[in-house]
Amino acid sequence: MKGFDTKWRDVPHFIIGITKEIWEDREIGSLRHRYAPGLIVRSPASVVVDNSNVIAATMATLAEFPDRELFGEDVIWSDDPAGATPTSDAYLSSHRLVCTATHTRPGMYGTPTGKRVSYRILADCAIRDDAVYDEWLVRDQSAVIKQLGFDVIDWTRDLIAREGGAAKCVKPMTPANDVPGPYTRRGNTNEWGQRYAETITRIMSADLNVIPREYDRSANLFYPGGQDGLGWSDADQFWMGLRAAFPNATFTMDHVIGRDDPLMPPRAALRWSLHGKHTGWGRFGTPTGAEVYIMGMCQAEYGPFAGNGAWGEPTIRREYALIDETAIWKQILLQTGAHE
Amino acid sequence: MKGFSNRWKDFPDYIIGITQEIWEDRGLATLHHYYSPDIPVRYPAGISRGNINTINGTLATLAEFPDRQLLAEDVIWSGDEDAGFLSSHRIVTTATHTGHGAFGPPTGKRFEIRALADCAAKADVIYDEWLVRDAGGIVRQLGMQPESFARDQIAREGGPEKATRPFHPVDDIVGGYTARGNTNEWGVRLSDTMTAIMSKDFSVIRRDYDRAVRTEHAGGQGDWGWGFAETNWMRLRASFPSAVFEIHHQIGRDDPMMSPRAAVRWSLTGKHDGFGLFGAPTGAEVHVMGITHAEFGPWGLRREFSLWDEVSIWKQIHLHTGSA
Repeated sequence: MKGFDTKWRDVPHFIIGITKEIWEDREIGSLRHRYAPGLIVRSPASVVVDNSNVIAATMATLAEFPDRELFGEDVIWSDDPAGATPTSDAYLSSHRLVCTATHTRPGMYGTPTGKRVSYRILADCAIRDDAVYDEWLVRDQSAVIKQLGFDVIDWTRDLIAREGGAAKCVKPMTPANDVPGPYTRRGNTNEWGQRYAETITRIMSADLNVIPREYDRSANLFYPGGQDGLGWSDADQFWMGLRAAFPNATFTMDHVIGRDDPLMPPRAALRWSLHGKHTGWGRFGTPTGAEVYIMGMCQAEYGPFAGNGAWGEPTIRREYALIDETAIWKQILLQTGAHE
Repeated sequence: MKGFSNRWKDFPDYIIGITQEIWEDRGLATLHHYYSPDIPVRYPAGISRGNINTINGTLATLAEFPDRQLLAEDVIWSGDEDAGFLSSHRIVTTATHTGHGAFGPPTGKRFEIRALADCAAKADVIYDEWLVRDAGGIVRQLGMQPESFARDQIAREGGPEKATRPFHPVDDIVGGYTARGNTNEWGVRLSDTMTAIMSKDFSVIRRDYDRAVRTEHAGGQGDWGWGFAETNWMRLRASFPSAVFEIHHQIGRDDPMMSPRAAVRWSLTGKHDGFGLFGAPTGAEVHVMGITHAEFGPWGLRREFSLWDEVSIWKQIHLHTGSA
């Protein structure tokens, strides 16, 4: 960990540690050095540039959800020798968090509902010199919206209005407004990452029959909208519903990490995208033809209990996949005029 | 595996395989082979003897919940083919309530709960068993409450005099399995943590559990973080503050492709003399049969699954108070 504060023992310690210090211990000002000046944070809802804007967004979230807690479930990371500097090692961390919070103050989610929410986030952070210098993040927004008691489409329509209408509202991330950042690597070549990437690529190629072979019959599944699933059928329904809505969209595997660490099962972290027209029936209702960009992230834990293949063939025991459904609906509503 | 059919590659393969064969593949009659003729099965609801009772119990359950699925989350095991294996099997079970049975007239509702089953096996045969199902979880998901369901159950079974008695150690039968598990460090660790909790040293949770722990408890209750684990263990212990806590069986394992993990079977025996999960103290003598599974990671205990049977606890309380 050359270049990092010596109090951090390893990459997970740094990532879980700074997350707690920034959010729960209120060291928000530390983002001025922990987040590099000019860094880009891409989330499906927006592309935010510079640590000053990250500080503003962090304070806005904490103003609305003062008791927010962030539980670091896992950090799946890769070495990034190409990103190292003379003063520092470099890494890419894929961080899975569960957030819990109470909606006690007004903010972007509207007037306080008093509701308690819990939801997942997956965040890919490129780190070196004791700082995050490039980031991709998917928050399970539809889980938050549903737990606050709103309908996802209605809430997104309201958000467009509250942000000043179609012309002025914050634009979701697309390749057109994405800003290239300094981290351009693709992860590592560990077998578990390759295996998971191949499974998701095959699913996206409509080979859904890969699921019973590659997933444990009792896989625990955690999907967008806070939907928990169990077993082959639920995996099939999630991935089918997503691909069916965008059957001709271009699928790109953007980043792949695999790891086999002590005290942990083999695991993998992927970042991918779907870009194309909403031309099919599926998770997003009536096909609208809207051009949509989806940034998705997912993580998997493997285990020894076979799927429908030979006993002993490893399978996915737990899968966590996230897309931001509000960002998808925003793109659909803005292009179809249905935001009015 | 000496004495086992060569179709099984290892012991988890056997446990997961026969469970599917018996339940989902409808091989009830295979229990004549897979279960010994006089097997004792201890449930929190009572003790059953012999594979004929197991077959009839399985039949009754399938008649009530024909689409029941049993998905194996884990098999944490100890022993060997000579001394006998002990499998602690964690199952997620889903089913739709379409038939008449122990849960009353069909509600048409679907449930998803966990069950933890400790089975002793030798030479292809299960010969001793302890099983805790999340009956409270089923009852809640079918739209009822454990407290009133237990009261109704006593009435359905013919009233307080005739109702089946929940399991208590005084009624136990010695089956063929008397081992206590293994001495692997991860089992020792879980036992130590649970002993500290039950000794009311609740600070142990912040010491031993990962801050992002996921805890799944009886009644389908679960949450993230230290808070839920602390509170729910406190509420259980507070309900029976003077009860004797015992660890009956403990397994630790560190297998390829898995986190280190542990399985502990435990009990609380004593008076219902505190507030907590079971209302105002009644002084009822209660036996709580519990099984806990845990997975450990680099930042502490990462996942905890603990079951006890709320319905059987309420039944013991109602039978004592006569409020049935």
